[in-house]
Amino acid sequence: MAPDRAVAVQARPEQEFFCFRVGDLRLGVPSENVLEVLRAGLLTPLPRTPSFIMGVTGHRGEVLPVVDLLRFLSKGEARIGPRTRLFVGISGSYVAGVVADTVLGLRRIPVAEILPPPLGGDASAEHLLGVVQGHGAQDSINLLNFSKLLQTARQRAVAR
Amino acid sequence: MSLDTPDNKPTSKARAARKAPASKAAGAASKAGAASKAGAANTAMLPAQYKAFTDTLLTVLSGNLQARVPKELVGEQGAEMAHLLNQVLDNLAASEHRKQVSAQEIDQALDSLIGLVREGDLSRWNTTTEDPQLGPLLEGFGKVIETLRTFVREINEAALRLSSSANQVLAASTQHETSSTEQAAAIHETTATMEELKHASAQIAENAGSVARVAEETLGAARAGRGAIGEFIQAMQQIRSDGVAVADSIAKLSKRVERIGTVVEVIDEIADRSDLLALNAALEGSRAGEAGKGFSIVAAEMRRLAENVLDSTKEIKNLITEIREATAAAAGAAEASKSATESGEKLGAVAAQAVEGILAGVQETSDAARVINLATQQQRTATEQVVASMAEIEDVTRQTTQASKQATGAAAELTQLAGRLAELIKRFKAD
Repeated sequence: MAPDRAVAVQARPEQEFFCFRVGDLRLGVPSENVLEVLRAGLLTPLPRTPSFIMGVTGHRGEVLPVVDLLRFLSKGEARIGPRTRLFVGISGSYVAGVVADTVLGLRRIPVAEILPPPLGGDASAEHLLGVVQGHGAQDSINLLNFSKLLQTARQRAVAR
Repeated sequence: MSLDTPDNKPTSKARAARKAPASKAAGAASKAGAASKAGAANTAMLPAQYKAFTDTLLTVLSGNLQARVPKELVGEQGAEMAHLLNQVLDNLAASEHRKQVSAQEIDQALDSLIGLVREGDLSRWNTTTEDPQLGPLLEGFGKVIETLRTFVREINEAALRLSSSANQVLAASTQHETSSTEQAAAIHETTATMEELKHASAQIAENAGSVARVAEETLGAARAGRGAIGEFIQAMQQIRSDGVAVADSIAKLSKRVERIGTVVEVIDEIADRSDLLALNAALEGSRAGEAGKGFSIVAAEMRRLAENVLDSTKEIKNLITEIREATAAAAGAAEASKSATESGEKLGAVAAQAVEGILAGVQETSDAARVINLATQQQRTATEQVVASMAEIEDVTRQTTQASKQATGAAAELTQLAGRLAELIKRFKAD
């Protein structure tokens, strides 16, 4: 709905991404998939869940599962410190908390600058929308297809 | 000597004495002849008897006084005459014999006197006589000669003793001369030594003077050192109290910094919350679409502000950490400085004591050097006096040497004279 409006209004269509860093990864998630940002509070580990589910935490009276994207993408393991953020991601009726070391902020990225994900990449490439090159190689951000990612995560969790 | 001149007199006397009995005898013979002539005139004498008388008289006249008139030839008439004549002849012979004996005795005495005069031999006088006329004379001679013997004996003895004494005197005066020469040499050496001593004492006085000067300078320096050490101790005390103040200040600073830390924590917390709030506000604005765009921009600005604050607080935290480390180091340094100043104060006290000791020692040294200076000056004066006295003594000794040389000469002469005297006196033989 939002992309349509952006395309309609602007000559150069843009898409807004919620950008963050976890471990060595710089990732972006479409801002419509983000409800709000929290501090990572106390997590209650859940038994019999995949390793990327770090546990659950209470949020506004609901139980929110917390996902470790590093484990999910097989890029290591997230650590929770005093500055660690937790954003509440939503896709349809699925809501999950995602651990982020630092929030880079909301960025409006022209659609034309979004490059396709590199071919022959690893398994994580299937959840990518594309890649945005920054000023340097360090500044490039991988844009995630959060809906698909959440779906896959749910499937994996259920499959167990 | 005129000892030889009276040589002829006794012999002439002796000859005179010898002539006398001969003339007497001739006298006696003529008497006897007269008597016999008288007898012949009175009584007629036979030619044979007469011849016996004349023969006897002729024999007597020829010198044989032993001849006697034989009684058997003269007979009765001539017997008495012969007897008388024989008695006369007997008396004549006895008288002649006495004369001979006394002449012998006189000869003997003369020989002794000649021996005495010629050879000085007194020992040969041993003459005695029965002659009553010569007796006293010879006795007187004997007494004189005995006296002379005693004299000669005593003179001989005295000459021997004189000789040995003169030898002793010579030896003694030679020894005296030698020793006075040695004494002169020794005195000369002593004088030289005293001169050296004088120079040495002058040197000592000079050295003592410079020691006193140096000690005076050292005294001044040590006093300055004492003052400096006093100032040093005061400065150390000041440093210690300053160090205590510094330590207090550091402790206060540390507390303040801790307070700042807590405040910064609060600011940090607030900034963090602001960051979250701004982020969520931006998300809200984004969800509001075009209408929330400006809101989103403001929220992003707010978030940048919060991030700036967070950066600043991070810097402040780093600074606080550094300050904490620095204050810890400063506190340690202050503590070390405190103990160092304490030991410095102790050392200063020790140094002050040492300098006090040095001051006392240098004072003593100065006094001692002054005393040495005075003493050596006195010593120099005394030495000069001694040198003068030694010069006088040397003079006297030279005179003494001269005198003893003269004495030696005199003693040598005396020895010679004594020897000569002994030689002379040896001519007289007493025993």
